This record gives sequence, structure tokens and C-alpha cells, in this order.
Amino acid sequence: MPMIEVQHLTKRYRERVAVDDLTFQVEAGEILGFLGPNGAGKSTTMKILTGFLPPSEGVVRVGGYDVEAQPLEVKRRIGYLPELPPLYVEMTVRGYLRFVASLKGLSGSALKAELERVATLMGVTHVMDRVIQNLSKGYKQRVGIAQALLGSPPVLILDEPTEGLDPAQRAELRALIKGLAGQHTVILSTHILPEVTMTCQKVLIIHQGKMAAYDDISQLARLHGQAENASLEEVFIKLTAA
Amino acid sequence: MRTALAIARKELSVAFTTPWAYAVFTAMAALTAFYFTDLLRAFNDVQGVARRVGWAQMSPDFNMYRNLTDGVVVELWGSVLVITLVVTPFLSMRLFAEEKRNRTFELLMTAPVRPIEIVLGKYLGGLGVISATLALTLVFPLLLSVLGHSESGPALEWSTVLLGYGALLLWGATCMAVGLFISALTESQMLAAFLTFCVLLAWMLLGQVARRAEEPLRSALSYVACDLQLQGMIKGVLDAQSLVFFASVIGFSLFLTHRAVDAQRWA
Repeated sequence: MPMIEVQHLTKRYRERVAVDDLTFQVEAGEILGFLGPNGAGKSTTMKILTGFLPPSEGVVRVGGYDVEAQPLEVKRRIGYLPELPPLYVEMTVRGYLRFVASLKGLSGSALKAELERVATLMGVTHVMDRVIQNLSKGYKQRVGIAQALLGSPPVLILDEPTEGLDPAQRAELRALIKGLAGQHTVILSTHILPEVTMTCQKVLIIHQGKMAAYDDISQLARLHGQAENASLEEVFIKLTAA
Repeated sequence: MRTALAIARKELSVAFTTPWAYAVFTAMAALTAFYFTDLLRAFNDVQGVARRVGWAQMSPDFNMYRNLTDGVVVELWGSVLVITLVVTPFLSMRLFAEEKRNRTFELLMTAPVRPIEIVLGKYLGGLGVISATLALTLVFPLLLSVLGHSESGPALEWSTVLLGYGALLLWGATCMAVGLFISALTESQMLAAFLTFCVLLAWMLLGQVARRAEEPLRSALSYVACDLQLQGMIKGVLDAQSLVFFASVIGFSLFLTHRAVDAQRWA
């Protein structure tokens, strides 16, 4: 059974169609790179997968649960990093992470251990008692990712997680995400294409809400009529040229 | 329910780390102190006259000045009622509006939490802040009971004072519920505060309208006017009908808030 199953997903805002008949699935343990030009419908799709927005049509299942029928079951299984990290800037990192962990149902010593684990993983242990407002953009982003990792949910949906990080932190995060493959199913949206080539096995490219390509990275170039060694960038530009 | 408490705790910790709550506390304490000294002066003047000419010679209008409870505290609670109306919108405005502006609303809505738990958590947090604000006003009756004296027994009749304070809490809780709902409708804190203030003020003015209206409109308006509903409790008369009335308003506001939070997804 695929971990994430999307069938004929359509999202309309009045007349504007943001997502148009999208069908794909992600197997457990896979990392899917989710690409598209700005405004293609990536964030909207991710918001529907996490249950924040209802679909206009179509079905979304996560871990076998329908997002509309059993939203709590789905939300329990997803760690989500929205485009803008959802931070309470007046709180300390520790206070914030403790709050998110308690929203996810953790408490007592389990909560403490989980905080410790995630903070170490994201390298924020030395800023735990600082107020989020005063952190650099990169650290804010790390705290945002830490929040998604809390409770070790089987599915991670990360909307441009490397935004605001410097090259060294990017490389670190890429390694981290790669390390998550196997135990976690990850959907990763980004517009930095080399990042996808380095971390993902499969790529989904959408353009104006419609699916433009959906394949293994190695197959992509060949299938879309380009030289075997064409870069993802060339394929992307070809597919999304209006 | 545990998550609702977690949300309430977060609300309180954020409220007490930002200057807003303290500004409101200061305003509440300063304004109440202003009214308090004013009422004390009036009380003293009337007592002075009464000592010279005797209570029998005075108009029955001055009867409430015969003791500190009715002459000062009950009057003071009446003023605090109005101050509460003014300050609550500034406490309730951020509850949902800020979450939406900062996109943390997305975090709450994608966490494994039911919307009803979010609403209850937010409301409990709001109740905590308004209770803390109103607790400051208890200083004034305490001062009176320590420094004041009466010819017959203790200076204050505490059962009346506390029942009046209960009316204040009930009113604060109601204002907070209305503010919570309005805050759930907008991203702008300023708009939420302004609208909440307008709604509460209009509600309080209904009592004035009722006094000038004809029957049967008059009875209907005086039933829904908040200040008339509160009058009994402020004076120390427990009135089950008022309790039910305000509990219904709170319940209905929370229900509407729940609908507004749920409907956000469909916007």
C-alpha cells in the first residue's frame, strides 16, 4: 500500500484552478521531489495533503486514511513545514518545541527525550533558551524543521525547507533528509533543482496546476526527449515553458 | 482536552511575556484607583453632612452612603464593569487574528488537534488573562476592610462585595468570548479590537435605549441589555436568570468561534 495516495485532486478558488486533476502516489520510505515554477500549485497541494485546505475534488489518502474523512488520523502521521515556518516569535525555542510536542500528544519524560533528540538532530541545542525573534533566518528555519520532526511522524511534508539556509547548512539538511529515507516518507518541494537530484529518487513536476512529469530522476531526461545526460534543469525549463 | 490545556498555557505564557498584558493591567489599576478615590471623597462628604444634620434629615437618595459596601464598593464595581468593556478587546484581539497573520494558524490546524480543542484552549487562556486583570481590583475592597471601620461590625459586607466581583468575572468572561469570536473573523488585530469594542459598547447602551422605549419593546430590550442583567449581582443579589443569560451568550459565542475556525478552511 502506498503511503501517500492522491487521486484526481483538483482545487478551485472560484474560477481559478490552482490544482488540476493531479494523480500520484508515494511509497513508504520514498523521497519525492516536488517541483514547479512559482505559483504552479505546489504549496496548495501540500496544504491539501496536510488537511489544512479541503480539496474541491478528488481523494487524498495518507497511510490509508482519507484526509477529509479522518483528518486527525492523517494529521497524526504528518510532520509539516509550511512555506513560512510557523513560529511564535515571542517564545523561546524550548518553549515553542515543547508546545508543538504537547500538541502532538507527547508529555512527561517522552516529551523531554524527543525535544533532546530533535534539537540535536537540527543542531539547535545551544539556542534552546533564546527567544525565536532574535535568531537568524537559518536558525528560524531549523526550528521550523525541528517542529515538523517532533514525534517522528512517518510522513514529512516540507515546503522549501532549505530556504534561508547558507550553503553549508543546505548540505547538512540534504544529508539529514537523505538519512530520513527508508523510515520516513518525504515530500520535498523546492525550486533549487540540484537539491532534488542529490536527495530524491522520484520527481513530480507540476506546471499551472497540472502534472508535467512524474518519474524516476534517471528516467526523466530520456522520457522527455532529451539527451541521457541532460540536467534536471534543462528538463524543467522545457516542461514548464509556457 | 490535554491539548486544549497546552494551548491555554501557551496563550498565558505569550501574554505574560509581551508588554500588552502589563499595559492593560496598568490601565485597569490606574483607572480603578481614579474612580476609587473619587468615590471615597464623595462618601466622606456625605458622611460629614450626615454627622452634622443626622441621617433622618437627608434625602433617601443618600441611603447608600450609610455603609462602605454600598457607598463605595458597589459603585466601584459599576465603574470596573465599564473599564472591563474597554480593556477586554485589547486582550482578546490577538487570540486568533495574530495566529492567522503569523501563519501559526496553519500549525494549529495541521496538528492532530480538533478545532473545538483549539477554541477551548484559546478561551481558557483568555479567561486567565482577564481574571488576572480583574484580580487587581480586589485590592480596593481589601484596603477598605483593613483601613475602614464601621459602628456596627466589620467595615465591609464581604458576601455582597464578592458576589459583585463574581458579576465582574462573569462580564469579563462574556466580553472575552465575544472578542474571541470576532478575533477569529479577521487577520487584523486592530480591526478585531475595534469591532469587539463597538459590539460591547452597543450592547451596554441597549439599557439606555430600553429606558426610553415603549412597552413591549422596553421589557425585551431590558432583558437583553447587559448592564441591566448585571445590576442585581453587582448589588449582591444572586440571580439565576442572569447566570443563565450570560452562560448562553458565552456558549453561543464559542459555538460561533468554532464554526468560524472550521470555515477558515473553505475560504
